[in-house]
Amino acid sequence: MAFREINAKMVEATVTPGQRLFSQRGAMLAYKGEVSFTPNTAGGQGGVMSMIGRRVADEDTPLMTVEGSGTVLFGHGGHHIQVIRLAGDTLYVEADRLLAFEGSLQQGTMFLGSQGGVMGMVRGQVSGQGLFTTTLKGHGAVAVMAHGGVIELPITPQRPVHVDPQAYVAHHGDVRNKLSTALGWRDMVGRGSGEAFQLELSGSGAVYVQASEEKL
Amino acid sequence: MSTYGTPGAGPAVFDPASLPPDDNVNPYTFCVELKGSQWFLQKGKMIAYYGSIDFNGVGHGRLDRLVRTSFHSPLHASDWVVAEGSGKMLLADRAFDVNSFDLEDGNLTIRSGNLLAFQPTLALKQSIVPGFLTLIGTGKFVAASNGPVVFMEPPIRVDPQALVGWADCPSPCHHYDHGYMTGVMGGLRALTGLGGVSGEEHQFEFVGAGTVLLQSSETLMAEQATGSVPHQAGVPGGGASGTPPGQSGAPRLPGQLGDLQRRFGL
Repeated sequence: MAFREINAKMVEATVTPGQRLFSQRGAMLAYKGEVSFTPNTAGGQGGVMSMIGRRVADEDTPLMTVEGSGTVLFGHGGHHIQVIRLAGDTLYVEADRLLAFEGSLQQGTMFLGSQGGVMGMVRGQVSGQGLFTTTLKGHGAVAVMAHGGVIELPITPQRPVHVDPQAYVAHHGDVRNKLSTALGWRDMVGRGSGEAFQLELSGSGAVYVQASEEKL
Repeated sequence: MSTYGTPGAGPAVFDPASLPPDDNVNPYTFCVELKGSQWFLQKGKMIAYYGSIDFNGVGHGRLDRLVRTSFHSPLHASDWVVAEGSGKMLLADRAFDVNSFDLEDGNLTIRSGNLLAFQPTLALKQSIVPGFLTLIGTGKFVAASNGPVVFMEPPIRVDPQALVGWADCPSPCHHYDHGYMTGVMGGLRALTGLGGVSGEEHQFEFVGAGTVLLQSSETLMAEQATGSVPHQAGVPGGGASGTPPGQSGAPRLPGQLGDLQRRFGL
């Protein structure tokens, strides 16, 4: 596997010739062997069109391509790192949370309004995702950053999961999400519980939640 | 290592007897046991203590001998205090991970901001590398890092911010991604700042036998002054020779490689 967790805040990636990695710029801590780091102006995969797409969607985190043969240590900003392995399904994550991912994964952007229309857009605003989010699809591993430790909550069709939008990190699988509001007269007079908005995820897959309500 | 052993059991409560002597209480706190002995610590890193412990500024009359034997950098002695007496004291630093390391007739060079405390059996000296301190001898010291410290064997290239220190003298030197900075594209990038930098054009390279200490984040701890070095020709950082005036000190813009451009003939 390409990523090995060294501790909660550092991962080691093995790079072999012909198999490249993408990582956030400046996130390399150390490396052994002959490895080269090339800034990726397109911000990821695809041609010019997907680059423009990312620019418009504000999902164009500066990335670099890591190639060669050797091992590379990644870490950034003292954030906790969660390695997520994908077996053909799609991961939805904010671009600035991506620390590194294997080149075998297909990168794309998704308009949140396409999932639930206007409510999807509202949901994006509340969870800090904005109107767009990044998708990674295929077989491979992703290292995702979070503020504080991360727990994985499985979602099964019988058991939907409710998540604080600020603590939401990423999710994968066949998952529908909707914003459930519990706004009442208490919130109107400023005596709310502070938990008026929740993200309800249902279907089958998993959601990753960070132990903090702070954004990256 | 969790202080919360079993869920629902609540936090562990320590008293003078149950505090671990010379060991970690949790990843962020270290307990030092003093039995009439002395420890050097950086100012402001003690958070609590049991027993009777005196804290004296270094260079305090009767501590003069100590400075002479184990503190060879009188220039920054004012940043350090000597704790002596008997009891247990707790050291911590802004919730960074804290760990103790044992040196046995060895040497270790560490970033000045990361060193919290050390036993007087070790000698502390300024490193030739500016901003680093070298510990020589046998004894224990306590260091803080952002995330646990990871030990790596050379040959390795390390991001400057992720470097905590190195032991047993692997030769540290600068490594520049030559291929990336030269050529037509490299020149264009250096001139215009366009095309972006990968942020990884420059590393510290370590070769030879030894150990390199890394922290798992690029967030630096506040730099601790190591004192100035004698203004002499040939002393790195001494400023008496080499660097032409006006070259150093100017803030470097992102994407601009400063005097490197000149060095590679760009």
